[in-house]
Amino acid sequence: MQASRARLFKEYKEVQREKVADPDIQLVCDDTNIFKWTALIKGPSETPYEGGVFQLAFAVPEPYPLQPPQVRFLTKIFHPNVHFKTGEICLDILKNAWSPAWTLQSVCRAIIALMAHPEPDSPLNCDSGNLLRSGDVRGFNSMARMYTRLAAMPKKG
Amino acid sequence: MISDSITNASATSAPRDSGKKKRNNKSAKMKQNKLGLRREQWLSQVAVSNKEGKEEKSVNRSEKSDQRDNQPVVCREEGNNGGNNLHHESFMESPSNSSVGGTDSSTNFSGRSSRSSSSSSGFCSGNVTEEENVDDDDDDDGCVDDWEAVADALAAEEEIEKESRLHESVKEQESVGQSASNVCDSISDASDVVCVKDPEQDCLRVASRKQESNRAWRPDDDLRPQGLPNLAKQLSFPELDKRFSSVAIPSSCPICYEDLDLTDSNFLPCPCGFRLCLFCHKTICDGDGRCPGCRKPYERNAIKAETSIQGGGLTIRLARSSSMFCKF
Repeated sequence: MQASRARLFKEYKEVQREKVADPDIQLVCDDTNIFKWTALIKGPSETPYEGGVFQLAFAVPEPYPLQPPQVRFLTKIFHPNVHFKTGEICLDILKNAWSPAWTLQSVCRAIIALMAHPEPDSPLNCDSGNLLRSGDVRGFNSMARMYTRLAAMPKKG
Repeated sequence: MISDSITNASATSAPRDSGKKKRNNKSAKMKQNKLGLRREQWLSQVAVSNKEGKEEKSVNRSEKSDQRDNQPVVCREEGNNGGNNLHHESFMESPSNSSVGGTDSSTNFSGRSSRSSSSSSGFCSGNVTEEENVDDDDDDDGCVDDWEAVADALAAEEEIEKESRLHESVKEQESVGQSASNVCDSISDASDVVCVKDPEQDCLRVASRKQESNRAWRPDDDLRPQGLPNLAKQLSFPELDKRFSSVAIPSSCPICYEDLDLTDSNFLPCPCGFRLCLFCHKTICDGDGRCPGCRKPYERNAIKAETSIQGGGLTIRLARSSSMFCKF
């Protein structure tokens, strides 16, 4: 059995054991493929994403954990570092700053932290980045909140 | 021999004591006067009924005048009066009725076992409470008065017992008593530090502490049963355990989650302290070769790293080995 598979099994056990520990993250493995994971994360409080639940898709490469997993948002989100159409995430630890010591769980935490602290200077969503860079925090917040309501909140009724 | 060493050790604490006393406020001084009177009463009791104990008494005097330098003359006069038997009896009656069951029984027990040490323990307990009273605040008057009376009465009782028998080795007794009292002084000092911090607190606690100090065996007490555990020794063990457990070596490799064996747990590839198993270290070194903990590149030349630490006379060998490595 490859190292990546063994490691993912161990992570799966860890996730099952610590399910209660982090209520903001719900990490589930695909039933048939351990290299495919999905995660549900809650939008951090005191941000325009508060109250929303965002779905992430993990594609774990074969050389994992030496290479980072590929993560993207399945839920639409208005964020300077997330591509609006593809859901691709611009995050250093998912690229050159990856370390094998990270886990899928810790990647989820890092993404939550990125939602709370956007980095408008390396934008994937230029509209969102421009709003923040021009100092229009109110405009950014209202846009992000609107998309959170539209995409990340359960429909009423 | 033991008592000698103890007295020597505690003699150093005596000047500290006197310095502390000088710092005390006026009320404490008044209390000191009162204490001096009381002490004089039982001393005079000794003087009246025991003519042969003069030597001991003089020793007592000198010790006391050392401790309280503002009161010596008055004390002597009162002591020479010699009519204090009544006072003393009243003292004896009032406190022994109150709740000193524990101390009473313990001192009685000691009195059965050996005379000299019983007197010393009596001495000891008396001194403890007195010292504490002097240093305490005046808020806890009611309780404290009771206790000092109790202690005085106990001491006096012991004196009477002593008189009734013929005491042979007065000097020995004195030395034991002094050492014990000095030890008690240091103990009461320690407890006073605690006391001073919350002087307005209830006097109940102070009282209970005094009871403890009266009842418990001191580590250097002759009567202390051998079976009692040594507190200092006991304390040292958990500390040791803590030290060992604080150096946390992960039980499994953080990369592959496999258990670390003995070789792996002794393997420290990076100065940042991040540990991993040898397999993962090799795969990482085959790849980008950066430590997962600090993201700094691993030392490629492991031999160089090892020998450079030793330095000094090994430089020649270092050069050769590194040159060998370079040829590879």
